[in-house]
Amino acid sequence: MSVRAETYTSGFSLKEWIFTTDHKRIAVLYMIGSFAAFFVAGLMAMLMRTELLTPGGTITNNPTNYNVWLYFHGAAMILGYQIPALTGYFANYYVPLMIGAKDVAFPRLNALSVWLFWMGIVLALLTFVIPDPPDIMWTGYPPYSIKTPGNTAFYTFTVLLIGFSSIAGGVNFLTTIIRMRAPGITWGKLNIFIWALMAAFVIQLIFVPILGTAVTMLSLDKYLGTNYFNAAMGGSPLIYENLFWFYSHPAVYVILLPAVGVLYEIVATFTRNRVFNYNGVVYGGIWGTVALSGVVWIHHIFVSGMPQWIIIIEVFTTLAISVPVGILLIGLVGTLWKGSIDFKTPMLYATGFLFLFLIGGLTGIPNAMSSIYIHIHGTQWIVAHFHYVMAVSVTTAIIGGTYYMWPKLTGKMYSETLGKLGFALFFTGVNLTFLPWLYLGYLGMPRRYYGYSQFPQFQPIQQFITFGSYIIFLGALVILISLIHSLIKGEKAPQNPWGSKSLEWTHTQSPPPPGNFTQPVKVDEDWDPYGYNK
Amino acid sequence: MGNHIMEEVVGHAKEHAGAHELAWHTSVWPLLMSVGILFLAPLAFAFYFVYQNPLLAAISLGIGAPLTIISIAGWVKEGFEDEHHYSEGHSIWAMPIFILAEALLFVGFFAAYWVLRLTQPSWPPQGTPEMPLLIPIIMTIVLVSSSVTIHFAEKRLEEDDRSGFTTWLIITIALGALFLGFTGFEWNELWHEGFTPKTNVYSTAFFSLTGFHGSHVLVGLAIFLCALIPALAGKISKPYVTAASMYWHFVDIVWFFVVSQVYFW
Amino acid sequence: MGKRSVKRLVGLFSTPIIFLSSLVYAAKMAGPEYTTPSEGWDELWRELMIDIVVIGVIFAIVTTYLLIKYRRKSPNETGSATKLKPIAAFGWVLIPVFIFMADDIYLGLENLIHWRDFRNVPQNAYTVEATGRMWGYEIKYPEGITTQNEMRVPVGRPIQVTLQSSDVIHTMFIPDYRVKWDMLPGTVHYLWFYPKEAGEHVFTCTEFCGVLHSGMYGKLIVMPVDAFNKWVDENKPKGENKPKEGGAV
Ligand code: HEA
Ligand code: HEA
Ligand code: CUA
Ligand SMILES: [Cu+2]
Repeated sequence: MSVRAETYTSGFSLKEWIFTTDHKRIAVLYMIGSFAAFFVAGLMAMLMRTELLTPGGTITNNPTNYNVWLYFHGAAMILGYQIPALTGYFANYYVPLMIGAKDVAFPRLNALSVWLFWMGIVLALLTFVIPDPPDIMWTGYPPYSIKTPGNTAFYTFTVLLIGFSSIAGGVNFLTTIIRMRAPGITWGKLNIFIWALMAAFVIQLIFVPILGTAVTMLSLDKYLGTNYFNAAMGGSPLIYENLFWFYSHPAVYVILLPAVGVLYEIVATFTRNRVFNYNGVVYGGIWGTVALSGVVWIHHIFVSGMPQWIIIIEVFTTLAISVPVGILLIGLVGTLWKGSIDFKTPMLYATGFLFLFLIGGLTGIPNAMSSIYIHIHGTQWIVAHFHYVMAVSVTTAIIGGTYYMWPKLTGKMYSETLGKLGFALFFTGVNLTFLPWLYLGYLGMPRRYYGYSQFPQFQPIQQFITFGSYIIFLGALVILISLIHSLIKGEKAPQNPWGSKSLEWTHTQSPPPPGNFTQPVKVDEDWDPYGYNK
Repeated sequence: MGNHIMEEVVGHAKEHAGAHELAWHTSVWPLLMSVGILFLAPLAFAFYFVYQNPLLAAISLGIGAPLTIISIAGWVKEGFEDEHHYSEGHSIWAMPIFILAEALLFVGFFAAYWVLRLTQPSWPPQGTPEMPLLIPIIMTIVLVSSSVTIHFAEKRLEEDDRSGFTTWLIITIALGALFLGFTGFEWNELWHEGFTPKTNVYSTAFFSLTGFHGSHVLVGLAIFLCALIPALAGKISKPYVTAASMYWHFVDIVWFFVVSQVYFW
Repeated sequence: MGKRSVKRLVGLFSTPIIFLSSLVYAAKMAGPEYTTPSEGWDELWRELMIDIVVIGVIFAIVTTYLLIKYRRKSPNETGSATKLKPIAAFGWVLIPVFIFMADDIYLGLENLIHWRDFRNVPQNAYTVEATGRMWGYEIKYPEGITTQNEMRVPVGRPIQVTLQSSDVIHTMFIPDYRVKWDMLPGTVHYLWFYPKEAGEHVFTCTEFCGVLHSGMYGKLIVMPVDAFNKWVDENKPKGENKPKEGGAV
């Protein structure tokens, strides 16, 4: 590729960054926002873990402090960190590059998406400075969220801002993928990541509006006196629980699918191998998950008083989710077969995912069994389940994916030593933390507890978990340092350091110029993003 | 809401490689609009309802509303000044996708409405006055006519009859405004009879559904204004008008659901 | 990627599951009948843990094997997998579908038996009423006694607890008996358990309900029948000697 780098990389202009409409820079804005949310929410986790060292008050004597930390932690980790990192940061960086487009379909709308997301983050961060901050957990169940003196309006609006940002993103990216693929890139030749992202956005477009109605009703009830969830007037809090989970269950696949998509790219690249059973993965795994995602939400409210028949149906639909997700996992493991595996840092993260996700996914199976659920619902078992599957597994995908695209994004290589050290700490830390956490839940320790004076026998396990979580923090710090180190000291990255066959590595330099490609992209008949062995 | 429609008049990269292409494109409006929205909705709402501080709420509105309006205007203007028409053909794909999401907002409210309704011992619940039936019929006629008039406007545009287009567009906007006027009138009547959102679950659903639909009419009118004002200055974007009219038809269809289920069923 | 490997896969996955299910059934026929839902819970839990550990270990072993076997040996090496033939591609979807579905349906049906046990209250149950509030439980006994954050029940008899709330959603969770259910304002729910031995247990709230959510708990005291009757006699309101229906033993 011809290099005309000087014309656009010289100098840093703040104005060109904050007013940018270029998808690559918007990706960076998403990355900064979502990592900031991760960092602050992670600090809240450290505070909570420290608080739980003793059954009574440890670092605060006011339970409301703990509840606000927990509210922020849950909401920011899901709405501020993982969903934007995957459907904002990764989507923006890769979609146009992978399909050979100059930008997304509506660049200005794209900028609006990222800034609305940032406003959502700002609103969430205001939690720490306003009087009566929201203390209603990320689920915001009424009637508590209506009775509390806490600021439920901020919860509603945080969800609405980020939700609208995501809907705009969905409209934008689906249009881009449908309309702007370079000539020659047919549906059968799309990268798995693109498929996974489309699936995630389809879920967002269908279900986010429902969440929007749920949280809107919450504020209508609380501030304008409507009766949606007011049992005394004939309303019912169960309406909220249903609307909320109708979105929030599918949301876990909005997180899972793009994460798995990124891992497919990593595994294919570092095994220099073709994706195992491409069609099976796309149609069976990805779209199968989408198809089932909307019919299992009752498994969050098995003991809330839903009718028997629906519970019985949803036990089976929930268990059936193991099928498409299992196919996704088989495809990922199968890609190793006959491969040529190079354990660079991104591949280490992918390897870690293969084991961590097994634990997380399989601990979802007991949850789905309504009779087992009676005991483990609302306990730390559930918390450990979703930390394994979401906090841990998906974070490996996000960090692994960051290392993977780092050379393209910054034009700098990172240090393998630091990268591997970070992975080792992270992997050790999460298992030390979350394996005993599962056991703690099995023993009956409830969720969302500031203290546990009724269960003094759990103190040693709690302390062990806290100790493990400090190691995770250390790991995250090393990861952060390795990235900063690369920015300052990293060697210049070649165009295609991994020897990948995918378009973003083969057709443009690192980092790509404005407009992405110096010539319009066109691929041949036998081009294949995974065509290592023809 | 609906701002992305303006995108289709936005142009960015040139088809042909050239020196121009190697510059980073920027626009100040998305960021300004986001800040405007932050002040306009969340902050103003919270100051007023949560912290009971009307002064701060008013200041918040005073910052948010102009910022949002200026951004929309700037955005539209920028779109017309862009000669590349980069996003032009995409909006007729984007709008249906957006409408899908919008439709599901109403699905959420209707689902809640039917659950509430079917779990009551009697319907309508106590405290509900006699609902007016004439007004909704008139409103339906008004809104359906506006769907027809916007169709005429589009036809005129296809025939390149620009002043005809403008005329029909103005008529459509007037009908939309009339519709909103009726909503306001009816709300006022009911309010005076003591039927407010707090009265019972029917009033809850009634005011949310009609209010929510009304807010969509308002957004539709804003979208039309963004076509009308440049049109008066002689600038028209056909794909924009097509997308805007799709949105308007959608708002019209939703009204059929509202009127049939909330008033007559 | 021919038919042989497909067959091998079927063997790999189905054998342990068939083997396991027959083991479980054999063990069940030999084992005791459950008399309480909580014992059934423990049994099902053990079964489930075996199930998911076996699946997890199979996947982990296959993954580890592939990771070791296919390490990169020279810098320019590439992978050598070819596109699957359509029949193999279908096989790699359909066969896992059947195996996973078989396991899912097996587990789901098992679950229904226990679910029924949890939800069907025996006829002769002793019934107390529990009302949740921010932040505590009020327990009412059929004899007209009321206690706060303390629930006394007789041993050796099924106990039903009806659940209500006077403000927000709470939960009654008794970890030792593996039961919990939500307490909602405006509706009455229930749970039941079968205390076989006298002793003390904790019941606690698992639905977030505000500042003192973690402080919302009480003591469940399972008493020998005599002691319980004595306690009832001593505490019931004066002048009301006749126990209500469903009352003391
Ligand atoms: C990325 C996020 C993510 C993912 C992917 C999942 C995946 C799954 N989850 Fe999880 N879940 C959450 C995030 C996630 N979850 C969160 C955040 C909560 C709590 C919310 C809250 O209350 O705050 C939650 C809560 C939750 C509950 C409610 C618990 C409760 O509130 O009491 C249930 C119940 O059924 C459940 C089940 C499942 C199941 C069956 C899967 C399945 O998709 C898993 C499928 C995967 C596998 C099974 C492993 C791989 C497959 C194979 C190896 C094939 C063979 C396997 C078999 C045949 C069994 N989850
Ligand atoms: C993606 C989601 C996610 C992630 C990543 C995490 C990560 C962690 N979580 Fe959390 N958690 C949730 C989602 C998540 N959690 C949710 C949804 C809830 C439920 C909320 C509710 O009940 O309503 C919850 C609840 C929850 C609880 C409350 C349990 C209870 O009382 O009921 C606790 C308790 O300690 C906890 C701990 C932790 C810990 C120690 C980590 C650690 O893994 C965190 C480690 C990370 C850091 C310390 C950040 C360090 C970052 C940097 C140094 C910079 C980063 C930059 C780069 C790496 C590039 N989590
Ligand atoms: Cu009551 Cu939590
Ligand atoms: Cu779920």
